[in-house]
Amino acid sequence: MSAHDGPVIRTEELTKVFSPGTRREVVALDSVTMEVGRGEVFGLIGPNGAGKTTLIRLLVGLLRPTRGRAWVLGKDVVTEIEDIRPRVALLPQEAGIYERLTARENLVYYGGMYGIDEDELYRRADTLLEIVGLSDRADEQVKRFSGGMKRKVLVARALIIEPEVIFLDEPTTGVDTIGARIVRNLLRRLSSEDDLTIVLTTHDMVEVSELCHRVGILNEGRLVAIGRPSELEEKYRAADLEEVFMGLVTGEGVYGGEA
Amino acid sequence: MVKGRVMDKKVYWLIKKEVKSIVRSRWLMLGFIISPIFAWMFQGAFLSFVVGETTVEPSDVYMTLEDNGPLGQQLFRSIVNHSEDLRIRQIINITREEGQQLIAERRLTVWIVIPENFTYLLNTTHSCLVEFYVNTGNFRATSVAWLIRGFIYSQITRIIVVQEVQFSWETIAPERTYGHQLAIFLIMLTSVVAPAPYVSQSFAGERERHTLEALLVVPMSRLKILAAKLVAGLVITVIYTGFTVVGVLLYNLSIIIRDAGLPDEPIDYTAFYTVNLASLPLIVFCQFLVLLCAIGIGVVISCLARDQATAEAVNNFALLIPTMVIGILGFAGSISAFGGLFGTFVMLVPFTHAILILNGVLSGAATPISLMGNMLYLLGFTVATLLIGAKLFEREAIIS
Ligand SMILES: Nc1ncnc2c1ncn2[C@@H]1O[C@H](COP(=O)(O)OP(=O)(O)OP(=O)(O)O)[C@@H](O)[C@H]1O
Ligand SMILES: [Mg+2]
Repeated sequence: MSAHDGPVIRTEELTKVFSPGTRREVVALDSVTMEVGRGEVFGLIGPNGAGKTTLIRLLVGLLRPTRGRAWVLGKDVVTEIEDIRPRVALLPQEAGIYERLTARENLVYYGGMYGIDEDELYRRADTLLEIVGLSDRADEQVKRFSGGMKRKVLVARALIIEPEVIFLDEPTTGVDTIGARIVRNLLRRLSSEDDLTIVLTTHDMVEVSELCHRVGILNEGRLVAIGRPSELEEKYRAADLEEVFMGLVTGEGVYGGEA
Repeated sequence: MVKGRVMDKKVYWLIKKEVKSIVRSRWLMLGFIISPIFAWMFQGAFLSFVVGETTVEPSDVYMTLEDNGPLGQQLFRSIVNHSEDLRIRQIINITREEGQQLIAERRLTVWIVIPENFTYLLNTTHSCLVEFYVNTGNFRATSVAWLIRGFIYSQITRIIVVQEVQFSWETIAPERTYGHQLAIFLIMLTSVVAPAPYVSQSFAGERERHTLEALLVVPMSRLKILAAKLVAGLVITVIYTGFTVVGVLLYNLSIIIRDAGLPDEPIDYTAFYTVNLASLPLIVFCQFLVLLCAIGIGVVISCLARDQATAEAVNNFALLIPTMVIGILGFAGSISAFGGLFGTFVMLVPFTHAILILNGVLSGAATPISLMGNMLYLLGFTVATLLIGAKLFEREAIIS
C-alpha cells in the first residue's frame, strides 16, 4: 500500500516534560518505546493523567518531544510533520465542534482544509452521516445536537479525510450504547477492509477487548505493558484485561495479591 | 501550479468556515450593523438638538482694532452697538499678541481682527479684509462668528458700498469643521473595538471551545491558518465599514433636516456640521487601516488570554483607553501638540497616526511625506503585531 513497510507508528524513548526545570515540572511521558503495525487497532489505556493524550499530541505534532523520537508512516514527527499531516486524522479528547455550522458543513469544511475535491467531500459526508445515523439532521446547525450526537459528527469528521492513521482520544465517551457500537463496527471495518491504523484511548475495557488487537498500558507516563489482550492476561495470570490493568496500575492485582 | 491552487483551496474553506460562523451569530452581526449606524445617528441627533439649543446663547467675542482710519472705527462701533442682536455677551479688546496667546492656550472663542490698513484699502482698492479666528469646536462661538460675519458683510456693502469684502477665516483646531472632528473621533472609537468580538471568538474562543486542536493538525502551516483568519476578519469588517457609510449618510441627513427647520439662522449648519462626502473614501481607508491594526493587537491579546471573556476584556481595555484619550484630545486641538512623556505616548499609539492622516488631509495641512510617515507607522505597527501573533500562534501552549 505504502512506500515503507515498517511499522506505521514507532516511538523511541519518547519523553515529554512540561515546564522543565521549574517547580511545576511534570513528566507527562517517560521514555516510551513502542510500535504499531499497519491496519492495527491499538488501544492506549491508563488512569487519568497517565499521559495518553500527551502521547497522541506528540504523534500528531501538536507537542514537541523533550527527548526521544517518533515516526508516523515512516516520517519523523518533528522534522517531517508536513508529510504526515495530510494522511493522519485526529479526534481530540473533549473536542469541540463548530456549533453554528450544520453537521454536513462541519464535515465538508474540515475535509476542504485537507485539499479534498468539493464533490468528493459532499459524497463522503453523505455516506458518513448515513453510517452514524445523522442523515436526517445533516443540514441542522450542530448547536441543537446532543453531546453524543456531536461526538458522532466528530468521528465522521475525522474519517472524511480517509486517513491512513487515525488517533481517537476517547471516541465513544458520551455516546450511547447503540452509537458506540456503530462507531466500533465502523472502525473495525475500516481497519480490516481499508487497512486503517487506529490508535484509540479509552476507559472502557469492553471497548478495548472488543476492538483492539493490541493494547499499551500507561501509568504515570511510563509504558508498563504492551501486547495482545490475551497475551497480557496470560502473562499476568489475570481473568481479563481489567484485572491486568488494576494489577499494574494499583500494584495489587486481585489474583496476583492472593496468589 | 496545481499544488498552489490546492493550497489556496484549503485557505478558502477555512475562510468560509470563519465567515459563516460569524454571520450566523445573530447578535454579533447585529452589533456590527447597529453600532456604526447608532453611533452616527446618535451624534446626528445630539448635534442637531444641542446646536439648535446652544446657539441662541451669547458668547464672548475678542476684538482687535488696529485701524486708525474712520471706516475701521465705524465698523467696530456698529458691532458694539448691535452686540445684543449678534448674541455677543461681552466684547473684549485685546492686542494681536494677546490674541495669539489665546490661540496658543486654546482659550479662544471668536477673535475678530480689523487690520491696520482697513480704511486705506477700502478707499484705494474698494476691497477690505477682516480676520476671523474661530474655535469651531465651540457651537456658540461658531454661531456668533457667523452672525458677525453676515453683519459685517451687510454693513460694509450697505454703508460703504464696496465691490468686495473678504474674510480670512481661521479655525483654531486644525480640522476645518466640527463634522470632521466628530467623524475622526467616532471612526477611531468604533473601529478600534469593532473587530474585537470576532478576533477573540476566532482565537481564544476556538481554544476555549476545544476546536483549535483539530484545526491545528490540518495540513496547513500555522501562518496560513492565521492568514485565513485575518482575511475572514477583514471580510467581516468590510460589512462594518459598509454600515459606517450608511451611518455617515444618516448623520448628514439629520443635520440637513435640522438645518431646514431653522430658516432664520445665519449659520450654514449643513456646511459646518456635515461630513463632506468627498472625504468618505479617505475615511473608509483610514478606518480600514485602523481595523487592520486593531485586529493585529486583538490577535496578540487573544493568543495570550486564557479564555474568550478575558481576551475581550483585555482587548477593550488596551484599545479603548488610548483611543478615548486621543479622541478627546482631538476635540481640544491638535494631538501632535503635546511634548514630553505624554506626547511620546500619544505618538506611539498607532491610532494617533490614523487621526493625523485624516486631520492632515481634511485640513490640507498634510504633506505627502507626513502622510507616508503616518501610514508606514500604522502599517508597521500592524505588521509587527501580526508577526508577534504568528509567533504566539506557533507555541505549543496555544492548545492548552
Ligand atoms: N499543557 C500541559 N501543561 C502542563 N502539564 C500538562 C499539560 N498537558 C498535560 N499535562 C500533564 O501531563 C500529565 C498527562 O496528561 P494527559 O492529558 O496526557 O493524561 P491522560 O492520560 O490523557 O489523562 P485522561 O485520562 O484524564 O485524559 C498530567 O499530569 C497532566 O497534568
Ligand atoms: Mg486524555
